[in-house]
Amino acid sequence: MSWLGRMWTVASIELQQRVRGLAWYVLLGVFVVVVLLVTVFTTIATWNSDAPGAVLYSVIVYFVLLLGTLVTPALSGNAINGDRENGTLATTQVTLVSTAQLVLGKLLAAWITALGFLVAGLPFLLFALVIGGASVDTAIVSILVLALELGVVAAIGVGLSGLIRRPLFSVVATYLVVALLSVGTLIAFTLGGLVNQQEVTVENEYVDWEASSDEIDPQTGYPVELVCMTEEYTYTVPRFDTVWWMLAANPYVLLADAVPTHFDAYGNPDDLFGSLKYGVRQAQLPPTVGQSWSECDQLSSDGEYPTAEEVIASTVPSWAIGLLLNVLLAGALLVGAISRTHAPARRLAAGSRIA
Amino acid sequence: MSAPEPVPAASAAAPAPADIVVEDVGRSFGAVQAVRSVRFTARAGEVTGLVGPNGSGKTTLLLMLATLLVPDRGTIRIGEHDPVTESAAVRATLGWMPDVLGSWANLTVRRSLVLTARLYGITGRAADDRAAELVELVDLAELADRPTRVLSRGQKQRMSLARALVHDPRVLLLDEPASGLDPGARIALRVLLRRLAAEGRTIVVSSHVLAELDELADRAVFLEAGSTVSADRVEAARVAERGWRIRALDAEGLREALRAQGIDADRIVAEPQGLVVPLAGDERAAELLAALVGAGIRVVSFAPAVGDLEHTFLDLNSDGEAAR
Repeated sequence: MSWLGRMWTVASIELQQRVRGLAWYVLLGVFVVVVLLVTVFTTIATWNSDAPGAVLYSVIVYFVLLLGTLVTPALSGNAINGDRENGTLATTQVTLVSTAQLVLGKLLAAWITALGFLVAGLPFLLFALVIGGASVDTAIVSILVLALELGVVAAIGVGLSGLIRRPLFSVVATYLVVALLSVGTLIAFTLGGLVNQQEVTVENEYVDWEASSDEIDPQTGYPVELVCMTEEYTYTVPRFDTVWWMLAANPYVLLADAVPTHFDAYGNPDDLFGSLKYGVRQAQLPPTVGQSWSECDQLSSDGEYPTAEEVIASTVPSWAIGLLLNVLLAGALLVGAISRTHAPARRLAAGSRIA
Repeated sequence: MSAPEPVPAASAAAPAPADIVVEDVGRSFGAVQAVRSVRFTARAGEVTGLVGPNGSGKTTLLLMLATLLVPDRGTIRIGEHDPVTESAAVRATLGWMPDVLGSWANLTVRRSLVLTARLYGITGRAADDRAAELVELVDLAELADRPTRVLSRGQKQRMSLARALVHDPRVLLLDEPASGLDPGARIALRVLLRRLAAEGRTIVVSSHVLAELDELADRAVFLEAGSTVSADRVEAARVAERGWRIRALDAEGLREALRAQGIDADRIVAEPQGLVVPLAGDERAAELLAALVGAGIRVVSFAPAVGDLEHTFLDLNSDGEAAR
């Protein structure tokens, strides 16, 4: 039998033994009901917008990512050490299956299970495409990145289950790593920006109402004889532009960043991905420091803010690096699990047994 | 287990017999020296029994033989292959039945066997046929399509044996195969293992049921605190004084005759099945029997009170206790 055939046998054992069950179908059913509700409410809320389908599509994709990352650790985080506890790991290892086939087969099973949520969400994604607004390139790229990210979470779980002896700890550790990526990066980004504040001094000009004439120019609303005074003002701004890269490995951010964004007539993104991408890309821009403001100089404009489209065009995409970091982390954990699970074993964790 | 039918072979041509040669093997877990120095040879066509008290290193030794654990020192050869460096070659010829009864709880017995066959590279119809043969062989046909979680301990034990036989291995390692089996299944297991050995397989069995091993094993390897007991000590223990149970129609007459034969009255123990008398060696026993019969005692039974292995085991154990 081929290398892949034997790996697939491991995956099918895993799917039949551990994953498939009544609880799994109940979970999928609950998921479908929740997505149905989200679909109904999002559709009502965005019905009058230009691209109702675009918003709906991105909301559903994020929902699948959220649920996938919440459920997958529970299913994959005890794939290897759970078998060890049940006494079925060693009987598999004495067959002709290699450790790599064993670990990757379990990854495949966990990934397929996570993709079950994506499949359950497909009718709703198709509905979003049908009602219009969602672009095909957005749809394809977001699904690919979503599928890959679910695979990363599955791999983290399987990897940790091979590295940590007790199933409970490896499941918790998987949740912690997933939380570190999705929430931890956000906290680090916020704190990093706030810690790294810059002091800014600006000179602002004000109209000295006491010194100026009482006569008011009816056209401008300012005194006819203007007397100006300057005031120095010091404040601090957080420098998010020095820590923006921390968000690169965040699954939600990298998904948004990877997807091609489409803009409306005003240069605003038409879906949730675009809005998030705009927010994150903005953090790359240094704050406009030292810009003085003058009440007297009536010619000075309020300053034109760049549109979302311009911001996105002028900043660096980071999703490729973020995705690479995710895949490297998952790969390193899998390699660790393979070398740790290898039989014949040279070293055993304290208190563990083989059979 | 239905013994009579022959074990169906997956491969038609009889492969070369594979002996097990273990040379001075040791393995420790941290500070615990589980196996110190074990050396023995298990020959093809024979059943070799591993005998020793709990913690003497039997299971650790079997794990090293089963390509799951690397020895700290010494060498193991299974049919000319090293389980560490050539584990794939060893695994192809080896069936292992662990002492832990793990099974895929949600899969049926038949499905478990089919999937195990696939892991050994047996696919399609061949895997289905093999699973069908094995459920018949270990007498689980009625339960073949039930999930393995409903099996009792003894039934799981039989399924575990079937799983070890999936790829028709030349070498069988069985860790406590008889535990949990009812008497009928034990007899069937014994008949099956004898037949598998007669087909040229190398079989290593560890067991606590020494009476069982007495009838099954061609030779025994005694383990004590992680080391094999030397042949000299085993021989000495074997011929050491042991209890013989003697029953006669006239119990009082027997007691008188035993005293007349110079046996210390204090050392004669009365048991419901007869009087137990300590005798050193078979020669002495034969002489005593002849003397009793010659004295007109009507002897009904005259036999060792415990089996050969058990006697040796107990004697070695008491040596060990004394040494400590």
